Amino acid sequence: MFLEIKDLSVKIENKNILKSLNLNINKGEVHAIMGPNGSGKSTLANVLAGKEDYEILNGRINFKDNDLFDLNIEERAQEGMFLAFQYPVEIPGVNITPFLYSAINSKRKRMNEEEIDNLSFAKLLKSKASDLGINIDMLKRSVNTGFSGGEKKRYEILQMSILNPDLAILDETDSGLDIDALKIVTDGVNKLKTKDNSFLIITHYQKLLDYIKPDYVHVMVNGSIVKSGGSEIAAEIEKDGFQKFQ
Amino acid sequence: MNIQDNYLKNKKNIFFSENKDIQTHREKLINIFENDGFDKKNNESLKNINQKNFIDFKYRYLISEETSVINNNQENNYSIVSVNGQCSSFKDDKIEITKILDEDYNDFSKNDTIENNDHFVNLNSLFLNSGFKIVIKKNNNIKIKISNIITDDDLTIFQKNNYICEEGSSLNLIEEYENKNNSTSNILNVIKLEKNSQLNHFLIQDNSPNHNLIITSHSSCKKDSTYTQKVYNFSEGYVRNFHYSELIGANSEADLQGIFFLKDNNTSNNKTFVKHLAEDCKSNQVYKGILNDSSKATYFSNTHVDQVAQKTEGYQLSKGILLSDNASYFSKPELKIYADDVKCSHGSTIGPIDENAIFYLRSRGMSKIAATKILISSFINEELSSIDNEQMSEIIQKKLVRYLSKVK
Repeated sequence: MFLEIKDLSVKIENKNILKSLNLNINKGEVHAIMGPNGSGKSTLANVLAGKEDYEILNGRINFKDNDLFDLNIEERAQEGMFLAFQYPVEIPGVNITPFLYSAINSKRKRMNEEEIDNLSFAKLLKSKASDLGINIDMLKRSVNTGFSGGEKKRYEILQMSILNPDLAILDETDSGLDIDALKIVTDGVNKLKTKDNSFLIITHYQKLLDYIKPDYVHVMVNGSIVKSGGSEIAAEIEKDGFQKFQ
Repeated sequence: MNIQDNYLKNKKNIFFSENKDIQTHREKLINIFENDGFDKKNNESLKNINQKNFIDFKYRYLISEETSVINNNQENNYSIVSVNGQCSSFKDDKIEITKILDEDYNDFSKNDTIENNDHFVNLNSLFLNSGFKIVIKKNNNIKIKISNIITDDDLTIFQKNNYICEEGSSLNLIEEYENKNNSTSNILNVIKLEKNSQLNHFLIQDNSPNHNLIITSHSSCKKDSTYTQKVYNFSEGYVRNFHYSELIGANSEADLQGIFFLKDNNTSNNKTFVKHLAEDCKSNQVYKGILNDSSKATYFSNTHVDQVAQKTEGYQLSKGILLSDNASYFSKPELKIYADDVKCSHGSTIGPIDENAIFYLRSRGMSKIAATKILISSFINEELSSIDNEQMSEIIQKKLVRYLSKVK
């Protein structure tokens, strides 16, 4: 199993958020998690990425034969996990290009791969940015600083395509995007899909799933997955809302 | 030993002690010390001060056998090595350097506001034992680098320097304070900018833990002149940076900036004070601090806008990053505005490094320590990237790397 979440319970500040959650993802699969506000979707994404604000009460997570809880935040990223943030953080003064260069080489180092040189990296970055309709001038700016909502999400996908993760978690990447930006972002995701990597897509709406076809759709309510199936579930939610699952 | 006994005992080694007017002024200062005592609670200049080191000190001064050196190998570029606060005389068609004279004593030292509030300026006036005067002649554009060297341990340097930028002149001044001795330097820089002159003043402070540096400056700007001061404090010993500026001519500007990097138990006290006394003037006061371990800092900023100073623009900003729960930074911005057509603001933000930013960077594969260092660098990026002198930029970058290497 590529990612196995078994009986996971998590709390933050005395509030139980995830309750005995189970989820399995195999290599090459695209899974979508849909759920109402406050159901714990983003908590799951943050726990997977290693955010340290949460207390793990119970359960385990295996990722590529590693106990995920044995890995810190950066080790998870270096092992091939990537979280596209719902609200990407603005970091004034940190230039995008050296930041991504450092990120890609930290992953290569862990994988015992040769570090990418500056010139090859510049070419790679330019080509990936062009694919995503990102202006080269934007690469001279500070991380997410002064970006519009759409630019931030595009920049998340640019990072994802550069780092080429084994498991990408997209936390409400569709929020705040107009239809054109949504197409660019989802095209970027679809180009990355191979039989060797997997996606976990967190969203409220079916719209995103019109562009990225999931193999499985899960409904998450009150910290647990209450129903799993195929794309038909997304259509059902679009029609009737989450009420019937609560 | 009290101040009076200390002064009387060492009088013969102190500048201008034969001058009757100066003697009278010094008696007044002694009275202030005797009558007011050292009220730490109500006097900003005494916050975080170890009285034993600075008030009950043992006076010792030596005229070194090493002589100061002045070079002007490149056109318009001068390098000066000042030894124990002294500098030889020099004169050409662009600059003139002399020892300070009795008549220079009055500049700023005899200032009522300061006399009542700043004990360290008073100590400087009382125990003055060194200093020089540099005049930049009319319409010249020159660069000066001054290395301040202290030759022995246990010296108490009380130094007063006067800088005069004549009309239309431009000076780029770099001052380096990098001393390893167990000594104390109390330095007062009095800076006068005549009409349409400009001074870019960089102060690099990187002393060892046993060296205390108390540096005060007072700049006065006449019409259309600009004074820019940038302080980079990497010292491991105590540093006090108190900088006063008066905008006395229309359309003049003062920009007082500082960055300090503290660690261990070190302390730094900082103050900037700009008085707007003419119309259409601008001022900017920005200090940023990075504090690790159990270090402490204070920063008082103050903009005073006189009623004649219409169309004033005055900005203040203080920012601090605390890298440890035991570090502390006290910041107090003040505005006193007596004119009605002004744009003024002040702001202060102090806190630990942004955990969300750390998480974001780590989630891309960066280690926690690398993420912390990159965020510290980004915190001062604006100030570092605005250094337009390549040599200065390299020096500061090297010192920053050294500071960051100790951040765990």
